[in-house]
Amino acid sequence: MKKIDFQQIVLKPLALACLSMGLLACAVNETASVTVDGSQATQIIETNSGVLSDNLRISDTNIGYAGNLLKAQVTITNDSDEHLDFRYKFKWLDKDGFEIAVDGRPWTPMLITPFESKSVQAVAPNPTANSFKILMQN
Amino acid sequence: MKLLKILTVIVASLVLVACSNKISYGDATSVETTTMGFGSTDLQSIAAKLVDDLIAFPPIVQMTSARRPVVFVDKVKNKTTEHIDTESITDTIQTKLLQSGKFRFVDMTAVKAVQEQMQFQMDSGMVDPGKAAAFGKQTGAEFMLYGNMSSIVKRNSDAKDVYYKFTLKLVNLESGIMEWAGEKEIRKSGEKSFF
Repeated sequence: MKKIDFQQIVLKPLALACLSMGLLACAVNETASVTVDGSQATQIIETNSGVLSDNLRISDTNIGYAGNLLKAQVTITNDSDEHLDFRYKFKWLDKDGFEIAVDGRPWTPMLITPFESKSVQAVAPNPTANSFKILMQN
Repeated sequence: MKLLKILTVIVASLVLVACSNKISYGDATSVETTTMGFGSTDLQSIAAKLVDDLIAFPPIVQMTSARRPVVFVDKVKNKTTEHIDTESITDTIQTKLLQSGKFRFVDMTAVKAVQEQMQFQMDSGMVDPGKAAAFGKQTGAEFMLYGNMSSIVKRNSDAKDVYYKFTLKLVNLESGIMEWAGEKEIRKSGEKSFF
């Protein structure tokens, strides 16, 4: 009977499988948000600790109007020397804090090069919006 | 030998776990990368970008500040090699534009049903003639929304690159002038992984 090379055939693939499962389990889901009020333009930045919030920064927010629709621009800066692959999503709120058009905007994938700043823009779904949030996750 | 037995049990249990049918609900707006083909994320990002472009375009802002123009949505030509339901994309765009309060639409997909209903109101003798919807009173569209979707696909032995371009145009039906055009480009790359 041929002797099985136990380490080569069984143990190595098993270790590899366990390692990849471990890596999958470590995938984090972080969210950072900025709220800009239409009249006061105050920023509230909420970040969870982790890779994304350590490296990505919301460096600027800007609001304007297209007719009676609120227009938002957010500048995101990569402070690290790595390419970062993340996704962002805009949420719109009315004056009472109710979210407008829930799930109206998709998570949008984005790639940012080392030390680069990128601006993302969005227009409110209707005239009742007077503040917005931007969420980021990896 | 004992170790081999234990390992066999572990592998068998892993296989059993993998076979169990697990169903869960996900976020409909999350990024979907199951295959390289056209997906929900592409549809949603096309609609979001083009609607933003249209309602923020200065001449359109000026025009829609005092009135809500009536628009008719024509087909979007699918020039890609994939089967893509372009009506689903224009449906999403139409819904978002309607909800913005800036435009109104005439639905050409419902013309036959509307005609049948009006015929019923007129001819069946069951509807009060004073309350029946009259023929010849509908509003004609002022603008037409139409477009194209094309793709460029390139591949070699270990990588594939897909580029989509979606173009949408708004034309004044009476004058024939194109009032607005918007484009959304999407690039997707994939590599073959042997791990």
